[in-house]
Amino acid sequence: MSNREHLANVMVQCFIEAVEEGLDLWPVVADSTSTSKIKPFLERFPDRLINVGIAEQVMVGTAAGLALGGKIACTCNAAPFLVSRANEQVKIDVCYNNTNVKLFGLNAGASYGPLASTHHSIDDIAVMRGFGNIEIYAPSCPREARQLIAYALRSSAPTYIRMDGKPLPVLHPEAYQFQPGKVDVLREGKDVVLVGLGSTVHETVEAAALLAEKGHPPGVLSLSSIRPCDRDALAAQLQKYARVISVEEHNVNGGAGSLVAEVIAEYGLSTTLKRLGIQDGGYAIAGDRASTRRHHQIDAQGIAEVAESLLVPA
Amino acid sequence: MNPFSLSVPELERKARAVRRRIINLNANSPAGGHTGADLSQVEVLTALYFRLLDCAPDRLNDPDRDIYIQSKGHGVGGYYCVLAEAGYFPEAWLETYQHSDSKLPGHPVRQKTPGIELNTGALGHGLPVAVGLALAAKRSNSPRKVYALTGDGELAEGSNWEAALVAAHYQLDNLVIINDRNQLQLAGPTREIMNTDPLPDKWRAFGLEVSECSGNDMHSVVQTLERLTRNGKPNVVVSTTRKGAGISFIEGRPEWHHRVPKGEEVTLALEELKDE
Repeated sequence: MSNREHLANVMVQCFIEAVEEGLDLWPVVADSTSTSKIKPFLERFPDRLINVGIAEQVMVGTAAGLALGGKIACTCNAAPFLVSRANEQVKIDVCYNNTNVKLFGLNAGASYGPLASTHHSIDDIAVMRGFGNIEIYAPSCPREARQLIAYALRSSAPTYIRMDGKPLPVLHPEAYQFQPGKVDVLREGKDVVLVGLGSTVHETVEAAALLAEKGHPPGVLSLSSIRPCDRDALAAQLQKYARVISVEEHNVNGGAGSLVAEVIAEYGLSTTLKRLGIQDGGYAIAGDRASTRRHHQIDAQGIAEVAESLLVPA
Repeated sequence: MNPFSLSVPELERKARAVRRRIINLNANSPAGGHTGADLSQVEVLTALYFRLLDCAPDRLNDPDRDIYIQSKGHGVGGYYCVLAEAGYFPEAWLETYQHSDSKLPGHPVRQKTPGIELNTGALGHGLPVAVGLALAAKRSNSPRKVYALTGDGELAEGSNWEAALVAAHYQLDNLVIINDRNQLQLAGPTREIMNTDPLPDKWRAFGLEVSECSGNDMHSVVQTLERLTRNGKPNVVVSTTRKGAGISFIEGRPEWHHRVPKGEEVTLALEELKDE
């Protein structure tokens, strides 16, 4: 479809615009030039890419050093290798040292589908939430990604951005304005609210349409800003509904569902929560996106089925 | 330039003063200390801070200042003593080493202590970050030099060798890697735990320029560091030292990896460290 755009292309466009504006930005890759779709940047700025080879630890360490040396360092590689292989470099060199590094976790979730679990990143939000100061974002569509990345490149905070690996359609109206911390309310509804993360927000919107057709329009929220997160605003949204369903291409432990659970518990809300995602103890199946999401019940149809089963009979 | 620019005899005297501080610092610590690791590196740190580093306490925001990275973060006690001697923070702070919520915790924290450039403690982190700093300086056309001190046991961490590949590939001749080869680590002699010898050959094979010095001999340290050339290759200085150097009953003894002097030992050590 023509209105679909890959978030990595959006990222690269944001890089080009930032450097043209005068930002001293340096992408750092670990042989991940194709993963990051960095070619247009390289053509425009041939000497501005640092490629450290297949070596994620030194990729993150080097990025931290570049940042301490006054640069805006942006690592771009596959999320699973960033988050797991370079875990301690993220923890210490980026978070603890509070360096101006932007970590782009590309092809996150189960984007790599059939390549199986070595290439899946279904724990990245949980890992990053366990670290102190790092800001955590998961853009749901190209328009939001553009604004979110533009913001992140101009902030000095260590930042993790979870990037989906498939071309996505625009979800937000032209007037949309991303704000860090803000809970993105996509649909108002009744009885049930669907809370999505990243690309699964598209599934929740489609599920909402299916449910609306049957006379049960649910609310839809997107947690594009995991840290910071306006918990008061999130609680205020959640308490409008009797049921909450969280949806993420991530383990149900430590991600969006956990954040929602914390807010429900800490605010003493009476709403009940169903967490959809890769269930406790499991891995994502190795398959294409449609079958993977079907299997784990995080596709529009699966979400709608769960929502219907939770609706209180009239 | 360096604000002290001391001569070798002056540096030797300064090194003794640093060692006396290390003894007192560790003796006053409520949580032990890495006395042996603090002592082996004294000549290198003293030479850097009192002669070689183009850096000063009032230039910590200067983007062209030289950078020193303490990758062997557990040697922070010795590092603090050198920084205090050089005026980066008040000497009185040394009495708070490892006290609760002190500005001088048991590993370096740049947000707490003026002069610290990088939080370290987990090993194998200093070199990759030093590579990034050296790369940034190159790309900014800055005259900055970056020095990073590692232990020798630390070199079992693979991230060091990832960093070596990158440093050579990007021709970072503004980077000086110093190995404090004190030949002992937590569990015993490095050669027995995980042998890194022949260390110079390993660095050379990675494309780095290697020099060697006798790391507890100030003359050898200064001469070696001052003779380094910038020919497109990163420099490595393998500085062979004795863990616990300078105090007869600490030198070369593995139990002093994480032990501090007490009572009579303090008096004996300070006696050995008197200026003539």
